[in-house]
Amino acid sequence: MKVSTRTRNRLGLGAALAVSLPALASAQTVTILRQQDSNKYDPPAITALSGSEVLFMMGDTLVALNEDMQTIEPLLAKSWDVSEDGKTYTFHIKEGVKFCDGKPMTAEDIAYSINRWISPELKSGVAWRAGDVKEVVALDDYTLKYELNAPYSELLYQLAQSFGTVVDKENVEALGADFGVTGFNGTGPFCWESWDPRNEMVLTKHEGYNWGPPMYGEGAAKVDKVIWKIVPEESTRTVALLTGQGDVSYYVPYIGLGKLRSMPNIEVVRSDAAFWTNYIGFKIDKPGVSDPAVREAINLAVNREAMAEDMFFSEVDPAYSYVSKGALDYNAEVDAHLIKYDPDAAVKVLEDAGWMLNADGVREKDGVTLEPVIYTFTGEWAKTSEAVQADLLKVGINMQIQPYDATVIWGKLATQEFDMYTMGFPYVSTGDALNLYFRSANIPSPNRMNWDDPETDKLLADAAAATTDEKRASDYGDVLLKVQKAAVWLPIYEKPMQVAYVKNMAPIKPHNIYGAGLYKGLQLAFTD
Amino acid sequence: MTMAATETPEPKTETASAATPAAKPEDAPPPRRASWGRRLMRDRAAVAALGTLAIICLAALFAPLLATHDPYVNTRSVMTPPAWQTGGDIAYLLGTDGQGRDIFSRLLYGARLTLLIGLISVGLGGFVGSMIGLLSAFYPKIDAWLMRFMDMLLSFPAILLGLALVAVMGQGAVPVIIALAISSVPDCARIARGIASGVMKMEFIEAGRAVGLSDAALFRRYLLRNCISSIMIFISLRFGQVILIGAALSFLGLGARPPLAELGMMASQGRDFLLFAPHIAVIPSVAIFVIVLAANVAGDALRDVLDPRLQT
Amino acid sequence: MISTIIDRLLLSIPVLLGVLLFGFLLLQLVPGDPARVVAGPSAAPDVVEALRVQMGLDQPILVQFWAYMERMFTGDLGRSMISNKEVTAELAAAIGPTVELMLACMIWSIPLGIAMGTMAAVKRGSIVDRAIMAISVAGVSLPIFFVGLLAVQYLGVLWLNLPFIGRGGPLWSYDGLRHMILPALSLGAILVGPVARMTRSSVLEVLKLDHVRTARAKGLSERSVILRHGLRNALIPVVTLIGLQAGYLLGGAVVTETIFSWPGIGRLVVGAILSSDFTVAQGAILVFALGFIAINLIVDVLYSLLDPRVRK
Repeated sequence: MKVSTRTRNRLGLGAALAVSLPALASAQTVTILRQQDSNKYDPPAITALSGSEVLFMMGDTLVALNEDMQTIEPLLAKSWDVSEDGKTYTFHIKEGVKFCDGKPMTAEDIAYSINRWISPELKSGVAWRAGDVKEVVALDDYTLKYELNAPYSELLYQLAQSFGTVVDKENVEALGADFGVTGFNGTGPFCWESWDPRNEMVLTKHEGYNWGPPMYGEGAAKVDKVIWKIVPEESTRTVALLTGQGDVSYYVPYIGLGKLRSMPNIEVVRSDAAFWTNYIGFKIDKPGVSDPAVREAINLAVNREAMAEDMFFSEVDPAYSYVSKGALDYNAEVDAHLIKYDPDAAVKVLEDAGWMLNADGVREKDGVTLEPVIYTFTGEWAKTSEAVQADLLKVGINMQIQPYDATVIWGKLATQEFDMYTMGFPYVSTGDALNLYFRSANIPSPNRMNWDDPETDKLLADAAAATTDEKRASDYGDVLLKVQKAAVWLPIYEKPMQVAYVKNMAPIKPHNIYGAGLYKGLQLAFTD
Repeated sequence: MTMAATETPEPKTETASAATPAAKPEDAPPPRRASWGRRLMRDRAAVAALGTLAIICLAALFAPLLATHDPYVNTRSVMTPPAWQTGGDIAYLLGTDGQGRDIFSRLLYGARLTLLIGLISVGLGGFVGSMIGLLSAFYPKIDAWLMRFMDMLLSFPAILLGLALVAVMGQGAVPVIIALAISSVPDCARIARGIASGVMKMEFIEAGRAVGLSDAALFRRYLLRNCISSIMIFISLRFGQVILIGAALSFLGLGARPPLAELGMMASQGRDFLLFAPHIAVIPSVAIFVIVLAANVAGDALRDVLDPRLQT
Repeated sequence: MISTIIDRLLLSIPVLLGVLLFGFLLLQLVPGDPARVVAGPSAAPDVVEALRVQMGLDQPILVQFWAYMERMFTGDLGRSMISNKEVTAELAAAIGPTVELMLACMIWSIPLGIAMGTMAAVKRGSIVDRAIMAISVAGVSLPIFFVGLLAVQYLGVLWLNLPFIGRGGPLWSYDGLRHMILPALSLGAILVGPVARMTRSSVLEVLKLDHVRTARAKGLSERSVILRHGLRNALIPVVTLIGLQAGYLLGGAVVTETIFSWPGIGRLVVGAILSSDFTVAQGAILVFALGFIAINLIVDVLYSLLDPRVRK
């Protein structure tokens, strides 16, 4: 990175001022900077990280996930039993749990929340995550029976996600369409105070909260207030931390991380315990990108190593496999099928397949020109797309970029209008990733590739119901190999979780659940 | 003259008008024009501004010849500072942007698009606006209505109009041009109306009416011909402002689509690097500033020499 | 005086109707089916159909327009297509900050502009005059986003550590005031130039008037001539100018609010349009247009207060 020394000196000065002038706002308020808002805060209806990260703080789930991303910890359930056949889970619910309005929470509320999540009326895009449910009922105030039609090895991981956050039936019914818009009555360590869409979300401490997951110790939140502040501009988020206008963020642009690490008043912590892959997907039944040769050539033409170094300042690793090599059930056979940067080979693949340059310098075959349309998020993704666009232009592919704001793109991505799309996703295991994207039942979204393959469906179902680790690993491994060979994605990079915070805060251990680096917010505290 | 003669339904009025006092304003302009041209050239700031504008326009016009690099090709040298700073590279005169593209070459192409957007929208808005203004002056009956309509248009700031059009038409240069053109209409209409009302009071209009000229002929041959040059000059004064608004729209992410280079968009992209490589945002912003400043200084000088009332 | 105001109010009615029509058309012209947009892409066809009936979209267009006008006059602007919040509630929360920002920017820039303009006029032709005019024309030519970015970079980050994100609280609190500085400074910067230029030319104009000459002849000091007789009359065109600049200023507010994450109408409308939240966009655009009409109404009233000829 080239930074002129003059700039550096001035920056040092500014930061020194920042240290000497602490924010005048109450020290017990934590301002978290983030990039974008969610369109509402209704657990099963929202699948974006911007919704989950706030819901984790406002509400609780049956079980929690440890920072190691492996261990399931008690949360609303203090313990649970699983039947021999793996189909029935019996949860023993903690006593004394209260909603923010003071009402006690019972197993009835949990049953209501789960049934609402999977109810066909709600049309939740993530209902499948709850498993093939036969019945979820409260046996008494503190016992919940969760019965499945088939065993589901990932159930507890999925129940720790924000979609199963316990809601208050009266609250849901009273607010109707305004639920999660004008209010939300949860049992989490923080309570909804106010929401100003696209500006800020204010949460206040839930007094008397003492049912948090064991990893965070006993007791309630250590700060009085949390403000989730939306700052869409990348550079502003960086300088806001530098100047003390924000306290913590895991949305710092890569260009700013190096700078923040060098500042005496900022701490940047990193975790590699979980996985996040950014990729570009192809709609495999669209003219042009339906040809596997074209998809392979695109994989060959895009220099991801250069992008990782030049645009993301080596804060990320270039990706070639669809899931990280470190993920549970990763198939080492895939390593032989990774497509690395080789623009000459890209040209050869295209020409062998009959895609020839036309008068405009764009490749064409049988009247189809290679001008795929990509739907992309604005911001960092738009820049990534521009770099991909420039690389593809060099081999005669004229990609068209259509950027959309984060609030609308989800709707756009559920259509069949585009040829390519950008997406980043968090996952805990190979199975987690594959189930999300490659089940034919998940067409058109999140299976936006239209990958419709009975064999894949069968292998995924077998793996989910597998009773041995070996069987599960081999089934998932087969699917991974299959989709990787078909080049249905262009993986871009894998990123670690990095949280930057001001040094007068107590040390933060980043969490990785669904990419929500602060999880319950229970470790947020000031040292002075 | 000959063209007008063939278009006129009543050729004999041609001689009539030439013989009447109406000939005066036709005769009057040449000496006045010569003098304002000379006076303009005496104003050193105006000459500098006009020179700058000419150079920028030529540079933009010949961008493909002058560009040292392909403005759309990315390289591994990202965020290179301008050549005169430490770490600069003479191959990249103004440095490179966050994608390793040559800023100098992008600046040339960007100026091209920015100027083009400005020209088309001022031209379009100026044409429609001056027609409305002229008609307003010519037909006092519809004057009040047209001016109310202009007031209504005026109550939508150009940026807002641009935002609304982008919402309807999607991101791109076309909605921006339309928005800028529409927002130029009311101003241009007022200017044209003011100038035309002055001309309408002249004797030769009365004279033309007296000899039974049709409205169309009167409008085209007397009103239009006597107003057109002043109207065009005054409308050109809007150029700077239109460029500014267009750049602001681009900055908000509503203008041309990538990878096309446009000055406002380049500045907006450079924003992410402000702390580390400020030149990426500063250079295109300064370019916009220089273009608008030159246009405004030249415009002020023109206004001064043309409108004696404002002379000081 | 009162009749002038009533006159102006009556004249605003057609403008208002036009603005409302524009708001109606905006939602009509949006690509795709509004019911589909509201229901979401995954909704079943029968759900969309039910919503279409509920929204009245199956009715003839005139019926729809009538229903729309009825809703507008009862203050029902519908609900946000994204957050489902009442549009009126979202607007109500955003109006305050925008008005605050506009007032804060005018409070320093207009007096400064008037002072600069008067100074330039009094010292006409001197180096002071030329310097002030050069600064003014530069101010008029600066892209508003460039001013904002420089303010963030230098005053916010490098030199003064002033806050540049959002509102720090109520305006009268210490934190609120600190947060106001940079946005108000940036937005005001585009207003100083036009005000100074207009003041200068109108002061010069007034100084030529008879009664000012008389006052001079009577031996009044230059200072009191200018302050008592000159400035007061010179302010009339300046007030008009501020009305004309209102649109420009509202447009500038859109950019300024975006740069400084200021929770006003400008940021609301940009966010709404980028996220295809057409009901909020429509509401915000109506508020902008109403604001413009209101500002011009106030300007007209001020004008009649200042100008004795209109007062009579």
